[in-house]
Amino acid sequence: MPRNSRAAADTSVSEAHDELATRLYETVALIRAAELRLHAHITEHGFGGFWHPGLGQEGLQAGAVAALREDDYLFYAHRGLGYALAKGMTLEQLFGDLFAKVTGSTRGKGGGTVHFVDPSIGVLGQGGTLGSNFPLGAGAAISSQILGNDRVTAVFFGDGAAARGTFHESALQASVWKLPVVWICENNGWAISAPIAKQSPTEHIADRAAAYGVPGVVVDGQDALAVNAVVVEAVQRAREGGGPTLIEAKTLRIRGHYEGDRQPYRDDVEDSLDVPRDPLTLLREHVPPDVADALDGRARERVDATFDATMAAEAATPDVIFEDVWV
Amino acid sequence: MSVQTINYAAAINQALAEEMRRDARVWMMGQDIGRMGGVFGVTRGLLEEFGAARVRDTTINETFIVGGAAGAAMTGTIPVVELQFADFILIAGDEVFHKLAKWRYVHGGALKLPVVLRLPTGVLGGAGAEHSQSLEAMAMHTPGLKVVLPATPRDAKGLLKTAIRDPNPVLFFEHKSLYRVKGEVSVSEDELVPFGQAAIRRAGRDVTAIATGLMVGRTLEAAEHLAGDGIEVEVIDPRTLVPLDMETILASVARTARAVVVHEAVRTAGPGAEIAARIQERAFFDLDAPVWRVAGTDTPIPQDPVLEQACIPSVAEIETAIRELMRV
Repeated sequence: MPRNSRAAADTSVSEAHDELATRLYETVALIRAAELRLHAHITEHGFGGFWHPGLGQEGLQAGAVAALREDDYLFYAHRGLGYALAKGMTLEQLFGDLFAKVTGSTRGKGGGTVHFVDPSIGVLGQGGTLGSNFPLGAGAAISSQILGNDRVTAVFFGDGAAARGTFHESALQASVWKLPVVWICENNGWAISAPIAKQSPTEHIADRAAAYGVPGVVVDGQDALAVNAVVVEAVQRAREGGGPTLIEAKTLRIRGHYEGDRQPYRDDVEDSLDVPRDPLTLLREHVPPDVADALDGRARERVDATFDATMAAEAATPDVIFEDVWV
Repeated sequence: MSVQTINYAAAINQALAEEMRRDARVWMMGQDIGRMGGVFGVTRGLLEEFGAARVRDTTINETFIVGGAAGAAMTGTIPVVELQFADFILIAGDEVFHKLAKWRYVHGGALKLPVVLRLPTGVLGGAGAEHSQSLEAMAMHTPGLKVVLPATPRDAKGLLKTAIRDPNPVLFFEHKSLYRVKGEVSVSEDELVPFGQAAIRRAGRDVTAIATGLMVGRTLEAAEHLAGDGIEVEVIDPRTLVPLDMETILASVARTARAVVVHEAVRTAGPGAEIAARIQERAFFDLDAPVWRVAGTDTPIPQDPVLEQACIPSVAEIETAIRELMRV
């Protein structure tokens, strides 16, 4: 390739990279604003359930989900609302679900972190029992094979859920059948009170991939661009019939297991909202400061407006109890 | 209507083949269902006709079979999956009782789970405590699941076709000891047996016997003996426990004033407890006697084929119980 044309190609790659960084920044900023708004509300008013914050883990959620197509399937994990927001669900839906309002995606049923859903954009929920996402996600991937479409299923899970036998059963079968699935482990170092060193004999959960004959990849989960790059590759491999990939994104749990967990089992934290190696800071290296500032402001405005509207929205009534048991 | 005489296993096989021909979204998975045709031979020939994409042999992975079926059902296909023994719903408990039963509900109706679990159930002859149980009451106890127990080849075929076309998760309990029993089955591909419609297997004026699965045949045999002594038993087979056709049962009890429930499942908190409770709630003043249960013993099932039979109602026990009930 002539020298000047390579330079042109490099410029265009670099522009695309910055554009992606800006897009990811926008998503992470929106998730962050939502996380902080929820935190402020829970601190002041409590919460009718358990909120498992995703604060600090937004970069990997946004980076990974951005690698999916709108019609790809997502089974998310329980750390926050970032996955569903990144996939295209609205703040109206998600806040509505969290506060059991009729505006939620479940119309006031199954509120809380666990049950956001929007099948029109492939958001299919997450198991209330940890580790139950694995067979569900593999099953969605079987549908892709049977229907002959090229949709890929992404399954998120934590380092704790990685211990479930459901992973073994699903990984073995998915690999043998080359199912189009990507497993994304958010290793934040803690399974409630158990540190990773007490749960895993190997340093990396991704090391387990070898047993199933699939690629295992470790990535910095605070770096949204790095996560995006490895998930893009895994999604492409799955879409082309190459089978599953196990990705482990190393991240941090800066809050308790749930908001209000005093973490007596842990001596490395204080009650802080500061995020070490903040994904927003890392993305700012690729986004002009004025653009980033404007995205931060816009995110806060959207979150505040939707949060207030949700608080004012109609609550679900007991009528919903008897709906949807059967079709 | 023209009929064929085939066994219960062949009737199930026909239902599977016809529904897979009719709808390309229908597919199957389970252990040994493809190359082997199933450990009970129910799925013979289906791999050859439909190929390995739609007839999938799995590893030993019940959570995958049921959870995978749930995930596939949410995304536009219709899985009809086999657990090698009905007992294995306990291995996949989370997938059966949480995912299949609740995922439509918790998502406010946004998802549908059209899954059929084929569950070889009951005693067969020495299969032991973990391969012989009748667990249908556990499914009745979990809102969101439909529960089907065919007792004849005709019902096995017609109910399975209905199950495959139903948009809800269905637990289809096929009795292992009925697989080789023959009966008349319609040759029509369109004969469906609806859910929630009991069959009156034998009309009688003196006592209503509600029996399921293998016990339908044994109760009919007991009824033959009793008829010789002038006791006319009306034998009702509910065919589906969820939905349950109480109207047919109550109408019968209104005529006979006596009722007994016969099932292979253990007595305590079995389906009979629910049926008896509903009869007394809604027809107490029609009754001349308490509602009785003839049921499996409140024990695990021993491995020995002779002892195993001692754990489930025999024709003689059913006959004796009904004779005594007539004297109450």
